[in-house]
Amino acid sequence: MVVAVSVLLYHKGHEGNINKGAGGMRVSTQARAQAPLEAESQAQTRLKNFKSTMKRIMKYRVLLLMTLPAVVYFFINNYLPMFGVVIAFKNINFADGIWGSDWIGFKNFEYLFKTNDAFIITRNTLLYNVVFIVLNTVIAIALAIMLNDIKNRFFSRTYQSLILLPYLISMVIVGYLVLALLDVGKGYMNNTILPFMGMQEISWYSETKYWPFILTIVSVWKGVGYLCIIYLAAIIGIDQEYYEAATIDGANKWQQIKSITIPLIMPVITIMTLLAIGRIFYSDFGLFYQVPLNTGVLMPVTQTIDTYVYRALINLGDLGMSSAAGLYQAVVGFVLVLVSNYVVNKINSDNALF
Amino acid sequence: MQKGKKLTVILLVMVLAFTTLLAACSSSNNEPANTPQNTDAAAPQDTENGNSGLEPVELVMVFPGPGEPQDFKEVEAAINEVTKEKINATVKLVMIGWAAWTQQTTLMLAGNEKVDLILSGLGTYTQNVGRGQYLPMNDMLENEGKGIKEALDSLDPAFLDAVKINGEVYAVPSIRDLAADYGITMRKDLVDKYNIDVNAIKSYDDLDAVFQIIKDNEPDMIPTTKYGDTIIDTHLNYYRDALDDGFGVLPDLDNGLKVVNFFETPQYAEMLNTVRRWYQAGYIAKDAATSTETQYNMVKAGKAFSFMSHMKPGIAAQESKNVGMELISVNFLPATTATGNITSIMWSIARNSEHPERAMMLLNLLYTDPELVNLFDWGIEGKHYVKTDVDNIIDYPPGVDAASLGYNLNYGWMFGNQFLSHIWQGDSPTLWDELAEFNKTSKKSKALGFNYDSEPVKTEVAAVRNVYDQYRKALETGTVDPVIELPKYIKQLKAAGIDKIIAEKQKQLDAWAAANN
Amino acid sequence: MQTSRLYQWSINIIMLIFTIFCVFPFVLLVSASFTDDLEIVRTGYKLIPNQFSTAAYQYLWNNSADIFRSYGITIFITFVGTLAGMLMTTMVAYPLSRKELPFRNFLAFYVFFTLLFNGGLVPTYLLYTNFFDFKNTILALIIPGLLVNGFFIILMRTFFATSIPTAVIESAYIDGAKEWRVFYGIVLPLSLPVLATVGLFYAILYWNDWFNGLIYITDKNYFSIQNLLNRILLDLQFLQSNTQQVGKGAELVAKLPLDAMRMAMAVIGIIPLICAYPFFQKYFVKGLTIGAVKG
Repeated sequence: MVVAVSVLLYHKGHEGNINKGAGGMRVSTQARAQAPLEAESQAQTRLKNFKSTMKRIMKYRVLLLMTLPAVVYFFINNYLPMFGVVIAFKNINFADGIWGSDWIGFKNFEYLFKTNDAFIITRNTLLYNVVFIVLNTVIAIALAIMLNDIKNRFFSRTYQSLILLPYLISMVIVGYLVLALLDVGKGYMNNTILPFMGMQEISWYSETKYWPFILTIVSVWKGVGYLCIIYLAAIIGIDQEYYEAATIDGANKWQQIKSITIPLIMPVITIMTLLAIGRIFYSDFGLFYQVPLNTGVLMPVTQTIDTYVYRALINLGDLGMSSAAGLYQAVVGFVLVLVSNYVVNKINSDNALF
Repeated sequence: MQKGKKLTVILLVMVLAFTTLLAACSSSNNEPANTPQNTDAAAPQDTENGNSGLEPVELVMVFPGPGEPQDFKEVEAAINEVTKEKINATVKLVMIGWAAWTQQTTLMLAGNEKVDLILSGLGTYTQNVGRGQYLPMNDMLENEGKGIKEALDSLDPAFLDAVKINGEVYAVPSIRDLAADYGITMRKDLVDKYNIDVNAIKSYDDLDAVFQIIKDNEPDMIPTTKYGDTIIDTHLNYYRDALDDGFGVLPDLDNGLKVVNFFETPQYAEMLNTVRRWYQAGYIAKDAATSTETQYNMVKAGKAFSFMSHMKPGIAAQESKNVGMELISVNFLPATTATGNITSIMWSIARNSEHPERAMMLLNLLYTDPELVNLFDWGIEGKHYVKTDVDNIIDYPPGVDAASLGYNLNYGWMFGNQFLSHIWQGDSPTLWDELAEFNKTSKKSKALGFNYDSEPVKTEVAAVRNVYDQYRKALETGTVDPVIELPKYIKQLKAAGIDKIIAEKQKQLDAWAAANN
Repeated sequence: MQTSRLYQWSINIIMLIFTIFCVFPFVLLVSASFTDDLEIVRTGYKLIPNQFSTAAYQYLWNNSADIFRSYGITIFITFVGTLAGMLMTTMVAYPLSRKELPFRNFLAFYVFFTLLFNGGLVPTYLLYTNFFDFKNTILALIIPGLLVNGFFIILMRTFFATSIPTAVIESAYIDGAKEWRVFYGIVLPLSLPVLATVGLFYAILYWNDWFNGLIYITDKNYFSIQNLLNRILLDLQFLQSNTQQVGKGAELVAKLPLDAMRMAMAVIGIIPLICAYPFFQKYFVKGLTIGAVKG
């Protein structure tokens, strides 16, 4: 509030200057041509707007300058290469170069839709992502709240470091580890755990029905530690006074979580979810390709857009087709984020991305 | 608020404009850099008068490999001494990991990076030629590359013809095993122990008895394990000319040049039934479809008795070295040659090359100069190998073994003319003669020399490859019942458009046949 | 805050179970790296090796020149990259968290857009190799795609916006503090948990990155430790599954290291990060919160 008022005051105080500047301009305009009064006043407001913007820029120049390194970096690293989207619409020939190659319209996109599995692939990608987003968020927040509440510092820190472990292991290695558990003959499940529970051996890698669960578990196992740290940092930042006051009022743990913790970390939850939605058409290639060990039988439940593209192009090595896939994924994600951001903006503009 | 928005829009437009401008600049930067290369390629004839007046140049040679051996730099220096003296050029060797190969070389050739000689083939030859990655070689082979032409033609003129695309050579195959026969490799100690008569193995059906003996007597051992991805992965190539990717083939390497879907042939169904029978009899591991173990580790660990693979003269010695125990190989299907056997490992001159004619001279040395070839293949004499009393036979230097060898690349089949290299102790002393004979007498495919370009049907290839991935491993390891799964597989292939691929292939093949006969 | 003993017990038990769930496969990994290679082929991965062997580590030790150099590269890029990345990230995240910043929405969008769209590998590669000549340089491991991460910016901005009340900044202004002074005198000290979090994430990002090495590096002097490991893992997979195309595929796998060694490399790739973790944890402290400043 205070800021807004001060900004307003600031602008008021300088209005005089702006008018003066505009006045000077008016003389010259009149001298050249007898412009209609309306246009003249329009020009004046435009100029006024411009001036006030310049003032704001001047006032916050330090802040703006601070953003400069990152802005420049993104310009070079991300925006400059974006001319490369044309590759998705071209049949690249190295002798002609990127610009000289033939335009072929949307032909590079065809393979993404021309398969009768297109529906299954899209469904898998979307469903898995939705489940991952929901589960990972809920579990990560729950863990973060618990970690924050644990009084013994040593334990708390030990848990914190150890749950991050899976995040550090490469997916190829994870694939080996999952095999160690699920191998038909040598795996733990079949050798130790299932007999112990008096159950029959299961041929894990040939039964599609288990894999939605296995992949979800692996995803949670691998990703939750990372997300948990983000939420933990958010929860640690909550002012203890809130809880003290709530305790005095007799609120129990659950009530405190519901009415203090969650609302206060809501901005972080919203942002994380929005970002995840932006990547909803992407999938972790390692999880869906390496972990099921590229098993064909499991493809109805493990095939996602990324694995489809990989399998399709591994021998074709076609640049146009791979950029087409990337563009398709990005555009869908972008549209979804715009929509969800719009919704978030309606509910609480503070939480929106932009 | 309004002002902010308007300015944002203006700024956005400015950024976009600027981006396009810069992008345009970057592209125009690319193009002039390309043009001089092309003129360079056309010009060399006048500067090229014998080896004496050559300007010093640096040539970059790019190839895939498992990671640089310890003494790689030393060997590179020794190579440079030779090339400096003979063609006044230094050579920079760039080794790229196998998995990264396609991606990294595509990027290297997309830019203006210095690349002169590059390994080509690996199943992507036609596509890469179609994308203009390599320079044509016909003229250079008459001049700087005479030695290459002679060396290849002395084997069989068919080999150099096989790599032509529209009459132009874009790559030369290395001289190695350019054919393959097919059979089974087994543990020699067990073959001897159970008195297995290897001469009685003439077909797949003869193997059942062998496998049964192992199954009965070696309870911890699987009679046969997969080679590559499946039990019959490379064996399939005996029954067909895969015509590049195996989607649409010529059965028996002939079939009157009529392209068919191999997965629909009785031959394929019969092979799947055999494998299924083995699987059900317990000759194949239950986890064969998913196992990530290599055949060598399986045999080495005593988990597997044999594997079926494509072969060549001297295969038993090679595989014994790989496994570290004595193995015996039985080839029961005779040698064949299809275009794919030849185009899998080749050398090309990259579009980027600033000195194409010099690159060709270097390549020429790789086909004619034993000193250079041996440096590439075996390293430095005295340090990485020593000569034995027998002519041309070499062995480990004293006190050095396979594990401590500083240069153990062993990629003789890659670096030009393998027949110029020494022969390692333990291999047949006449190995190269045997190989030459093997290459010459193999049954040649009727479509030898046909190079198929999948570009027009790449959408279908993408979809078909996914179906292939889904069904192949399970079927060819016997893990699923072919009676149920094979019809599904065929149906899916058709849905994904394999017939369109076959039609396109047939069209290209007919055109090729018309032009060549 | 009062918490009952029962509550403490139960959350500790839940965390313990989850921690074991996370650690268990890692134990498997370590144990596999200490198992005799052929034993793995025979009996699979075991929690306690049937045949204890340090052969894998001995082999790595024998190639220690490569390994140590790669370690050096990894440590260097992690250190420099994290520092530079953090600096640039905080510098852009803080202004973005200030509502009165001119072009705030545009800048936020500008940052966010980078998370979704990119020009793809080829143009990026051409830019960095043709214009900047990054091929086979250490900069190629630090700058392309990693240096400033839009995700971390948005994350940090959200933290700044929610955990630092405008009132604190306002009062600093009234006291006559300059922007820069507000930033590093007030905002940064208040944000230690966030800085530690994002710092850790940058460190992980750099430590685990192998993609830049795969694309920009062919000289083994610049291979990071993850490059070495990933090259082996991916080569093995590639050669096995492309025997028909490559022709030599299945026979080339003989040259690649066996299971135990791959596991050992994975282990030595993780250990240093685990050791560095407590350094970041130090800043996950309560007490340095707004309450303290306000009071």
